[in-house]
Formats: sequence, structure tokens, C-alpha cells
Amino acid sequence: MPPALLTTSLVNTLQIGSLYALMALGITLTFSVMKLPNFAHAEFVSAGAYAALIISLAGVLNPLLIMAAAFVIGALAALLSHLLVFKPLEQRQVSFYTLILASFAIGLILRYLLFLLADSFNLFDLRIAIPLRILFRQDSLILSNLFAWAVPTSLLLVFLLTLLLNRSPLGREMRALANNPSLARVIGIPVERVKNATWLIVGGLAGVAGALWGMQTAVNPLMGWAAIISVFAAAILGGLSSFSGTILGAYVVAFSENTIMLFLNYSFSLDLAYKPAIPFIIIIAVLLIRPQGFSALLRRGGDLKR
Amino acid sequence: MFRKMLLLGLVLTLAAALVMPALAQDDMETYMLGVALPFTGSFGTFGQDFERGIDLAVAQMNAELAAAGSAIRFETVSADTEQTPEGASRAVQTIVQTTGAQVIVGPLTTAEVLGAKQFVDENGIVIVAMASSGPAASIPGDNIFRVIYPPDTFSSKAFATIALERGHANMVLLHVDDAFGNGMKEQFITNYQAQGGGEVATFAYAPQSTELSTEAAAVSAALAGFGDSAGFFCVCFPGAAEAFVQVAQIDPILTSVQWLGNEAMTSDEMLEDPGHAMTLANADFVTVSQSADTTPLTPIFEHDFVAMFDKDPGIFTNYAFDAANIAMLTMLAAGNDGAAVKSMLPFIANHYIGTAVQAFLDENGDQAIASYGIRQVLEDGSGFEVIGTYDGNNDTITYK
Repeated sequence: MPPALLTTSLVNTLQIGSLYALMALGITLTFSVMKLPNFAHAEFVSAGAYAALIISLAGVLNPLLIMAAAFVIGALAALLSHLLVFKPLEQRQVSFYTLILASFAIGLILRYLLFLLADSFNLFDLRIAIPLRILFRQDSLILSNLFAWAVPTSLLLVFLLTLLLNRSPLGREMRALANNPSLARVIGIPVERVKNATWLIVGGLAGVAGALWGMQTAVNPLMGWAAIISVFAAAILGGLSSFSGTILGAYVVAFSENTIMLFLNYSFSLDLAYKPAIPFIIIIAVLLIRPQGFSALLRRGGDLKR
Repeated sequence: MFRKMLLLGLVLTLAAALVMPALAQDDMETYMLGVALPFTGSFGTFGQDFERGIDLAVAQMNAELAAAGSAIRFETVSADTEQTPEGASRAVQTIVQTTGAQVIVGPLTTAEVLGAKQFVDENGIVIVAMASSGPAASIPGDNIFRVIYPPDTFSSKAFATIALERGHANMVLLHVDDAFGNGMKEQFITNYQAQGGGEVATFAYAPQSTELSTEAAAVSAALAGFGDSAGFFCVCFPGAAEAFVQVAQIDPILTSVQWLGNEAMTSDEMLEDPGHAMTLANADFVTVSQSADTTPLTPIFEHDFVAMFDKDPGIFTNYAFDAANIAMLTMLAAGNDGAAVKSMLPFIANHYIGTAVQAFLDENGDQAIASYGIRQVLEDGSGFEVIGTYDGNNDTITYK
């Protein structure tokens, strides 16, 4: 594998892995606190991307403002999903499987609402209007302004989330809820308030990830769904209960899709069209070999369940 | 007595007034026209616009039939192919099983057409496709007619010739991994190497991919391996095309070679992004697509479309309009029966001049008239200009 190709693939790994991490943390948080593998998470990403697209088309080109708008819309989409669907279903004490089905249904509804929006205003396959430019170039190492936004933003948000989880009353309440919901209720933790806050954080992170993903690629109502299997693979690698494991999982998935895929293509002529199979392979391998993922290895770092 | 007669007359008149429309209604015959198109996915806008073109054709036909006193009327029933072969198969089956439609206008892509092929062949249903061009669907005797857009066996020759004229000793090709992309790849390699071209490195991307940085890195490395004389050919769908250019625009290799590409690279959205527009301009981007020449019917279609929908027709929407007209004219001649329509359709199509081009079908039921325009992006990236034409039937390129 030529060094230039290796370098490019590693840069892509860092950039895409950071975005996967932002998306996957929301899934881990939802699963840990709400006990729900939320497939509507994909549409929170798409909703954030559309918020970012629309505000950028309106002339706002400050990435911070764009990401803030995406955070708000993603957070609102997640909170409304909880208040209108998940919460009433939980009150009826429906089964785990019903909640999963409900998450699929919410995802479909949100996706087709985005289709309606995109069709009405011709917003298919557009890109968030932040010009891409090279910030640093040394031989084959090229870093763009998108890299400069995506990687630090993701790392900063992950850091803030870890701080929130470990150092704030809300974080303690979230961890208590993740460990034992019944006990958390008995000891007076305001469970509904904590859940609302969790959904806001989950949706907000997904929204920001959507904004950054929309700068990397083209925005359409299916973009979140197209990424969701890779994101789930990252969360499953993290054991669905560990922040640090999820982040590591995100980079492993991105490394597999980029560097390993390019190595296999270059060395063994394996078609790049097999790239979407990689997250499936990871999910099956983890579930078969090590269902707890990286969580046991990284027990000290940002775990929700301790 | 007179009063009784008058009363009886009034009653009979009233009864006739009430009964006759019902009788007339019973005499009316409705032909169902199935519409299977992608209403969701990256091609959702195409599907929705194509459906409007079909609705316009049906409205005009019904108005003419009513004016002529015909008892036949057309109705459409639509289903979403979801831009997948499986979705197309489901859509066609749903239409046929719920309405008994014998003729389907659509689907859009070759992969979708092939997805529905087994069902329509086994059940005697006729497909009239307007834009499918993959050689994989060029099959004699089946129930699929591709009446407007010629197969890529023609355009791939033009692309190969242009690549060699530009001095590309080797080529790197990125293509969607479906019937359309694979067909274009095989045809291009055959034609390119038959004319003396060298090696062609190919990379496929999965149709559902929305992020193509891995593919861009691989293409860049292959181009670097070939050296200065290599060119790049992109056979992508909308969405993927934008995603590829997005990551390619900061790649020093990809921005230093000349590009060829299919018409998905020439969307308005592509040039609205200044970075994308300049990337294509710097790459001297050239595309070959069916001629945009007009017929006397073209402006009439455009006027009627705006009048009915209060918006301009999208690219290739007139192809759907023409395909629907060929389907309906054939049904008027052959009746609402799949086998009869299959038998009659080539005759009708071969006598049809629509809004785009004269239809004339080959032994595979595909458009045989291959007239293309060669378009190059302007130096400032603000648009495209026609720099020549390609006559596929004589394999001749003529530059302006």
C-alpha cells in the first residue's frame, strides 16, 4: 500500500471516526439510560443535517451557528419522539421489542417528513454551504477545514459529555438511572426530568454529527439511515454501555472501512463495493466473540454502568 | 288527458336524465396505466417529476378521447420503487395485483427494470421504460421496452473515443455497483481497449453509499500510479456524484487530471456549489448524454407542463411524457391486454415522434436511434456548453 494512500486513509479514519463517535455516543446513552436501541437515531442525524443545510442556505456560514442550529433541531426531534411516543408506551409498560418497533416507526415518519420538506423546497443532495479548503499540506498529508472542525468538535463534545456524566448532578442521576431504574425512582431521582435531559443531549449530539456529516457529503433524507449500521457497529463494539469503548469502537469501524478496506482493495483487489459489509461483519463478530465489546477493557473511562 | 301525458312525459324525461348518465358510465371503459418510479431516495425528485409528465400525458389523452366521443379513459396508479430492484419488483406486483394493470410506465434505472423483469415476463405485463440504458436489459423477446433513451453500448463508445482523443493512455473508472454501472464499465473497457487504449483501473461503490472518501483515495492512488497520461471517468448516480466531488476537490491528483462522467455529474445542484463547479472546470469535465435537440412538440410540452403544474419540467421529464404516450397509443390500438400490447408496441413506437426524439426500436425493444450531445463545463464553472455531437448509429463524433 503506497504511503500516500495510507496517509490519506488514516486522515479519513480520524475524520469519519470522530463523526461516528458523535453519533454512536447517543446510541450508547439511549441504550444505557432508556434501555432502548433507538433506530430513529438515524433520523435525528438527518434532521440536524437539514437544519444545518437550511440555515447555511439562508446565508449563515459560521460553522458554530450552523452546528448550534443542528443541535437544537436534533434535540427537539429526540425530545418530541420521547414525549409523544416512547414515554406513553413506557407508561403502558410495553415490551422491549415494541419499543424497538416504535423507534423504527418514528424513524420512518421523520424520514418521510424530511422527504416532504426536501421535495417541497428541492433540497436533495445539496451540501452545507461551507467551502472546503486545505488548511495544512505536507507531502501527501492534507488536512482540510472540515477536518479542523469535525475532529476537535467531536473530541470536545465527548470530553464535555464525560465531564457531565462524571462531575455533575445530572450525570450522577443518569448513571443511577442506567444502573437501576427502580432504585433511582425510589431514592427520589426525578426520572422523567433526567430522561428528558438525556433525550435532549442524545438528539443534540446527533444533530451536530448530522451537520458535520452534511459538510462531508451531500444532504438527503436517507443520509442518517445510510450511516446507522456503522454507528451501531461502533456502539456495539463499545459494549453499549461505555463512552470510551464507543469512541474507540467508532475509530475502529472507521479504520476498518477506510484503511483496512483500501489495504484489501490494493493488495487483494477486493472490491470497494463491499465496504458496507464491514460494519455487519464487525457486529456479528463482536456479538459472537466478545458481546461486552471494549467495555470490560475500558471500565474506568466514562462508563455509564459502574 | 293532456295533463297526464305531460306528467308522463316529465317523469320519463326525468327518469331518462337520471338513468342515461349511469348507462353512459357503464359504457365507459377505463384502462389502468401503472406508474412505477422511485418517489423516495436520491432519485425521488426524478420520480415525482416524471409522474407529473405522465399525468400531463394522461390528462391530454383523456381530453382528446372525450372530445372524440370515445368511451375509453386512462387512469394511473403509482407505486414507489424505492430506487431498488426489490422495491421495483414489489411496486410492479402491487400495481398489477391491486388494479389489474397490464402496462407499466417505468421504472427508472436498469437495476429497477431488471428487478421487475421476472414478474412482468411471467405474467404478460408490459414495461415501458423511459430512461433505463444499461446493456444488461437489452434482451430480445422479453416484455421490456426502453423506448426513448438508447442503451449505453452507444455512449460508452463515445466516452472511449473522447478519452483517446484527449490522449489518455490509461483510465481510472469509478462506477456504481449495479446493472447500469457495471454495464457501462464493461462496455467502456471493451471499446477503449479495442481502439488502442491501455489499462483501465476500476473501482465500484455500493449504490447506497453516501460518503465516498475511501473511493476517492483509491481513485487518486490509481491515477498517481498511471502517471500524467491517465484520465478519470466517473459513472455515478446523483448524490454519490456530489459526495465524490466534495472529497475530490482537495485531492491534488484528482484535481490535476481530466474527467469524463455521466449526466449525473451535470446537475444544477453540482454547479451551485462553487467548489464543485471549479473542480469540474479545472478537470475540463466532459459528458455525453442523449441529444437535447428539440422537436416541434417540445415547447408545447413545456408550456402545457407549466400551465398544469406551475413549475418547469425537470431534466428528462419529457421522456416520461413520451413513454406514457407510446403506452397509451398502443393500448388504444391493441386493447387493454398485455400480450396484444407487447405485439403492437414496436409498430406504434416506430411511428412516434415525441418531445425528445424519434423512437425506433431494435430487436431488443430498445431505442435504436442514438443521437448524443457532447457537453463540456465552462471555464468559470457556470454552466455547460455543447461542444459536439455523437451519432451512435454511425459511430461519428462531430465537434463544433
